[in-house]
Amino acid sequence: MATPNVATKWIDRLASALLGATIVLLGACASPSYERYEPAAGQAPAPSESQPLPPPAGQAGTAQAPSAATARTTEEIIVSGRIDRGDGLRRLQMSVAPIFTIQEDAAAAGALFPGMRAGGSTLLSQAQPGEELWVIQTASADTAAEDDEPGSGTMLALVAREPAAPPTEVPLPLRHTDVHAVVTGYISAVDVTQQFENPYDEKIEAVYMFPLPEKAAVNEFVMTIGERKIRGILREKEEAQRIYEDARAQGYRASLLVQHRPNIFEQKVANIEPGKRIDVNIRYFHTLAYEDGWYSFVFPTVVGPRYNPIGSQSPVVALPREDSRQPAAGTAVRYLRPTERSAHDIGISVDVDAGVEIEELTASHEIAARRDGGSRAHVTLAGGNTIPNRDFILRFRVAGETIKSNLLTYTDERAQQGYFTLVVYPPAATTRLRRQPVEMVFVVDTSGSMSGQPIAQARAAIHAALNRLERSDTFQVMNFSSDVHQFASRPLPATAENLERARAYVDGLGGQGGTEMLSGIRAALGFPRDAERTRYVTFLTDGYIGNEAEILGEVQRTIGDARIFSFGVGNSVNRYLLDGLATEGRGTVAYLGLEDSAADVMAYYFERISRPALTDVAIDWNGLAATDVYPARLPDLFPGRPIVVTGKFRGTPGDVGVRGRLGANTVSFDVGAARDSRQPALRSLWARLRIEDLARRQTLTGDPNGALAESIRATALEHSLMSAYTSFVAVDATERTAGEHGTTVNQAVPVPAGVRYDTTVSGERRTIAER
Amino acid sequence: MKRAARVWKTVLAVLCAAMVLSTTAQPEASYFTTVDLFVVSGTPVAAWQVELTERRGAMQIVGIERGDDSTFRDPPYYDRVAMTRSSTDRIMLASFSLSDAAQLQSGRVRIARVHVRMTGAAAPDYEARLVAAGTADGRPIDAQLSLETQTER
Repeated sequence: MATPNVATKWIDRLASALLGATIVLLGACASPSYERYEPAAGQAPAPSESQPLPPPAGQAGTAQAPSAATARTTEEIIVSGRIDRGDGLRRLQMSVAPIFTIQEDAAAAGALFPGMRAGGSTLLSQAQPGEELWVIQTASADTAAEDDEPGSGTMLALVAREPAAPPTEVPLPLRHTDVHAVVTGYISAVDVTQQFENPYDEKIEAVYMFPLPEKAAVNEFVMTIGERKIRGILREKEEAQRIYEDARAQGYRASLLVQHRPNIFEQKVANIEPGKRIDVNIRYFHTLAYEDGWYSFVFPTVVGPRYNPIGSQSPVVALPREDSRQPAAGTAVRYLRPTERSAHDIGISVDVDAGVEIEELTASHEIAARRDGGSRAHVTLAGGNTIPNRDFILRFRVAGETIKSNLLTYTDERAQQGYFTLVVYPPAATTRLRRQPVEMVFVVDTSGSMSGQPIAQARAAIHAALNRLERSDTFQVMNFSSDVHQFASRPLPATAENLERARAYVDGLGGQGGTEMLSGIRAALGFPRDAERTRYVTFLTDGYIGNEAEILGEVQRTIGDARIFSFGVGNSVNRYLLDGLATEGRGTVAYLGLEDSAADVMAYYFERISRPALTDVAIDWNGLAATDVYPARLPDLFPGRPIVVTGKFRGTPGDVGVRGRLGANTVSFDVGAARDSRQPALRSLWARLRIEDLARRQTLTGDPNGALAESIRATALEHSLMSAYTSFVAVDATERTAGEHGTTVNQAVPVPAGVRYDTTVSGERRTIAER
Repeated sequence: MKRAARVWKTVLAVLCAAMVLSTTAQPEASYFTTVDLFVVSGTPVAAWQVELTERRGAMQIVGIERGDDSTFRDPPYYDRVAMTRSSTDRIMLASFSLSDAAQLQSGRVRIARVHVRMTGAAAPDYEARLVAAGTADGRPIDAQLSLETQTER
């Protein structure tokens, strides 16, 4: 505690420096892509068709909730103190804005502002996690020189964070999302029902951007009005959009589902009358990931805020809730402020029939689980975990000895066409050998969206990884945000001294600025290769970017013989990008949640790469007429992780064999006889993989409208699947609703748990055009 | 000379007007309506398949809803491949119920409502064909199919 004299001196200094001071908002110095775009205090957003929101039913005036963040920017800090110039008590008032919240320790925060330490080191040293740091800078040396106690030119003040107030509820149309999944073996069929209800006094169109798993084969769409269910029709995207717009304009209730990314979808529901409800049901299939005896069922609940580098072709722009402007290209996701909440909640239930005994069952959320015999379980999301701001992950471990490579088939009798899924597990022989030395390149995303918990997790993960390097390995640490930095000019041997220096470097990594991932990829893959060591690029990121295609195309072109192991850091990461990086990089993907142990996840990773992978994997079909097999290029077979191969066949499947290279030796083994799964889902899953493969090739050509696009469109239509070129539309032509089509209301969503709103949600002037 | 110039001016003006009209021509007007499909059978129908077309090629299917028998839980399914292969919308619809025969309806039963978008002012020319109908125990039924449009109700 400071003595009164010291305190008075500080107050005097503060008052002196505040005379003629200007406020430096360091946030304005951040990357232009995270530049704040907010209306000035008291200034309404640009009027448009979708603004302002209509009033909630029973209330007059606008429904727009007071914006807490806007309130903070106009907050006044009142500084009172005696100034030793005979002026008596002087009262100063200034409008200031918080810069950032102290995340870990004051010393680290001070390191971010080396030029300001002279005047602020004392205060910085008093900073505690959770407090906010305010930076105030004098306008000119002349002004300061007039004072008896001239300021240092820089002044720092600490203001304790306000006590957390209960979030303000914002009336929005999406009330509830209900998810019911049935898992059979490693295939899940998932029903997602979105319940839209109009809380306003006038008719609305609801627009909602939401995620689905990146490999989801979406093949059913039903709109429910009261008791009536109307099955939607899959059409070419432009045609579906025309039908929807026409129905909307004529006053018919209608819904449209559009895919913006393999894992980002947009739902539109037109002409919802006041107080009325319209449900939309989506059904999809997908396969569960498997690793070391554990299956994972994942349901993402929110799209994370993306960064879009300059020149992005189809950006996904993150905007504040009240920003009604539309991007000139691409699309936008609107976010609630941390002090806001919508009524939208989520319910999840999963019925698991593993086919073999379930030994253990865990989840990312609190769940209620009921076991029904050894191989079945019924799982529901427990109350109090229903805010849709992080991925729901259900993992179950099955009896290890019973997991073997297997071949499942399904025959479409009408078309006389067979489909198969072959799951190849690594042979036991891989556990007996040690790996060769590697060149380990850690690439860390240090952009604004990683700020706080995610970057702390990434740092912990690299620390754990550095501890496990062997002396014969070399390593490098790179970090990218708006540009790329690296620990050393070239990879260094993993000596104790080098590792110690690297740890210090890693400790200094923070999160701010843009996400120029392309530069990070180029830096990691672009420097000369080591002939003695295979390059393992370990990528740690949340994947919150909008130019996924560009990134994956670059990896395809430049990967060479390197391998990429991607780590998704956070609770709601961009799995499409992270899975794509691992696929294109012929490595594997892992996810590091904010509550996970980074050391455990890294130990798992090193355990896997500490033994050689089965390379040059080939399948001997033994006379089976297998065609259109995906993936076309088989990846390495790493211990603990199977390869899943899907294709078409004709005739009767026989025994299938697998061979590959393990170090200097050739290894081969049989998969065994095929088993008829009676699962029509195999047909949809095959079609989904074909679309993914075509899209991947399209990424390389960079042509969005050529023959590959036509093949995607044809495959999607034939198999009734959503794609970038096909959409579902449903119209209730029974009756027209009265009046105009009403206001468009964008369903704002929370930022994912652990992600900071202020460093990620901005609006990008160059990609936004006024309507 | 002046007369020839005047003629040329007139021709030019007409051509310009035609060009403007052609470039600003509105798309053909469209409207939404429904087509109800009925099966008449003395035996309760547990499963059926119907083909629906519009001869002028002015129909786009925009939704499919089940009929009056609530034992058919889901809206009818449609064959996406059949739609792809046809130059105009021709739709193959099918549905089934797993209920006992005693719970199924017989007589004249509305089995489906098809929501459509029509273009053009001419009256639509629908054609519907019952491909198959069966009982709860899988026997085929000799039933009749008819349809009603929204304006006829």
